[in-house]
Amino acid sequence: MTAGVAAALSLALAACGGGSGGGATAPAAAPSASAAVQDALSKPAELTFWTWVTGIEKTVARFQAKYPNIKVNVVNAGQSADQYTKLQTAIKAGSGAPDVAQVEYFALPQFALAKQVVNLADYGAAALKDRFAPAAWGQVAINGGVYGIPQDTGPMAMFYRKDIFDKLKLKPPTTWAEFVDVAKKIKADNPDNFITTIDPGDAGGVDSMIWQAGGAPFQTSGESSVSVTLASDPGVKQWVGTWSALLGEKLVDPQPGWTDEWWKGMGSGKYAAWLTGAWAPNGIINSIPKTKGKWAVAPMPQFDAAKPMNSENGGSSVAVIPQSKNIPAAVAFAEWLNSDPEAVKSLNSEAGLFPATKALLDDPAFRDAPQDFFGGQKINQVLGDASAAVNPGWQYLPFQVYANSVFKDTVGQAIDGGGDLAGALKAWQDRITAFGTEQGFTLTSG
Amino acid sequence: MTAPVTGPVTGPVIGVATPRSPTARRRRKSVTLTVIMLVMFGYAVLPLFWLLANASKSGADLFSTFGLWFGGDFHLFANIGDTLSYQNGIFLRWFGNTVLYAVVGAGGAALLATLGGYALAKYDFPGRKLLFAMVLGAISIPGTALAVPTYLLFSQAGIVDTPWAVLIPALCSPFGLYLMRVYAADAVPDSILESARIDGAGEFRIFRTIALRLLAPGFVTVLLFALVATWNNYFLPLIVLNTPDWFPLTVGLNQWNAQANSGTSGAGDASYQLILTGSLLSIVPLIVAFLVLQRYWQSGLATGSVKQ
Repeated sequence: MTAGVAAALSLALAACGGGSGGGATAPAAAPSASAAVQDALSKPAELTFWTWVTGIEKTVARFQAKYPNIKVNVVNAGQSADQYTKLQTAIKAGSGAPDVAQVEYFALPQFALAKQVVNLADYGAAALKDRFAPAAWGQVAINGGVYGIPQDTGPMAMFYRKDIFDKLKLKPPTTWAEFVDVAKKIKADNPDNFITTIDPGDAGGVDSMIWQAGGAPFQTSGESSVSVTLASDPGVKQWVGTWSALLGEKLVDPQPGWTDEWWKGMGSGKYAAWLTGAWAPNGIINSIPKTKGKWAVAPMPQFDAAKPMNSENGGSSVAVIPQSKNIPAAVAFAEWLNSDPEAVKSLNSEAGLFPATKALLDDPAFRDAPQDFFGGQKINQVLGDASAAVNPGWQYLPFQVYANSVFKDTVGQAIDGGGDLAGALKAWQDRITAFGTEQGFTLTSG
Repeated sequence: MTAPVTGPVTGPVIGVATPRSPTARRRRKSVTLTVIMLVMFGYAVLPLFWLLANASKSGADLFSTFGLWFGGDFHLFANIGDTLSYQNGIFLRWFGNTVLYAVVGAGGAALLATLGGYALAKYDFPGRKLLFAMVLGAISIPGTALAVPTYLLFSQAGIVDTPWAVLIPALCSPFGLYLMRVYAADAVPDSILESARIDGAGEFRIFRTIALRLLAPGFVTVLLFALVATWNNYFLPLIVLNTPDWFPLTVGLNQWNAQANSGTSGAGDASYQLILTGSLLSIVPLIVAFLVLQRYWQSGLATGSVKQ
């Protein structure tokens, strides 16, 4: 497609989107407000969809059953950073990219600002806003556009070993101060045990905890102004205060996640809690099945119990790649996949994703289902409330993939060696600032 | 390890001029060397043993039993069955792909390197030195750094996401060419070539019937190196292949691992069991190749050519 045609098309579509917003859509069609997008559903098309979500083929099969004209090839082209490397190479090469691709929230601004994903607002996608949890929508609404359709989220929660807490007569901590106390009691009971772990290589985990503390150290305005305030952000300072103490007194174990040793610790009770996203249950159920009935979930500890705040860890959107030969059909597919009630139910039950959409988050059948593995606890109530409490002010850097890759050399070192967290965060900020400047962004830091 | 020592241990042997049989020299024992050997042996074998022990456990036992010993139930065969049938048996497809890439790629690389190395060593032609210098330069560029430019090039040629994108780079082995040139310079005496020419043999016949045999140990060495390199190649296939049906084992297994580690992926994920069992299965052919080829390699090195 030439640039002229694309521009003309997007103008026409934007006009349509403005005129037919609201709930006036035909019942059988996808929820988009754009006529061209709905039109695309009835015309023959072939789409390639890059995703690493296993089980999503079942959801796609439902789409095919409903819209047999559109053939969707599901390709697992690799996960996260692997897939982004390929995607960016293919986009640069001018061919070989898919029509639709899975992109995590933390990586989306990078693709959006480089114009490597389609602005879906041009196709009327802004009308979908009310269908999603505000925090999820906040992750795809970048710079006044809409660059992906939210697929799943990971509101933070505290998964903990109920058996250990009960044995020591402990209650799940509601504040970070209580968390430190509980950590000391667990240590006092057995010096080999820890309340939890922190992964020195996982920038995402630390980002999520800073976000949960009300921090917003990364801000982008316009196309090229970025501010990085890891050294002065009040949320960062709160996180540093608590975690310096936890690390200094060896109350938490600096241990990379997902390793043999880590899973063993999770299974044996060496680690009493896991602070992570709402997607965690699958991992626990699949990897340490012998701990069935021993786990429970509670909201994240708070810095200010009067003003509960939460954050996201992980989560993905589905974006459309400009190289697509049939952008309207690609948009229609992405919209259906992540917001049609039948699709989102399938994503949750058949692909195991924690929903981004209110259709499910507010659905009593979803919220009130007791979970056998968690001793019958209705965990989706806790996780759904955790989703509602997410602080929507967070932004990722337009080069977060790079920033995360150098986290290990700076903050990770301090976590691992019990060093100075504040100094390490400043070092991380310096690396981020230098890289951003090289990339042509205007950086302010503090 | 050496054969058991039978005769009495004699005094220290210094230098090589002593008229004793070579076995006499082997009788010397050194505690330090033995300890170092044992440590190295443990270092090499322990991960293999860990892999074998853990691939034989059930999913429930994996993270709840001691890592360096077998679990309660012996699940190896069940795990192999699961690995081979997961995702409609895609593991076998990956296995076949890897065999294809390794056999065609490494075999071709070894053959091309032998032809090229022989030509560079034994024929005088304009630009020979320059060509060789360029090959030496090529060795110093890591393959990983070339992967993205290679992708862009292949994208223009329209062979991205096909087996050719993995096979063509695998056929080029600058290190192999360098090795074969050095090896051919010594292993194929000029006098043999001259006498063959006097007897009226054509150049290709000389290569096929004389040089190739003399170069066999070098050929096998390059083949082994290329085989291991192609078998373990990860970054290039990762970049140039998008369709899982063409993945080699390295990329496929890593994808399973990412799935097992993933929070954002769903139910029915690959479990750690499949990855461990798949890894175990994927090293078996390499071990077999080493055991089989090593014989030719050693016997070749021991073969003399002409009396000097």
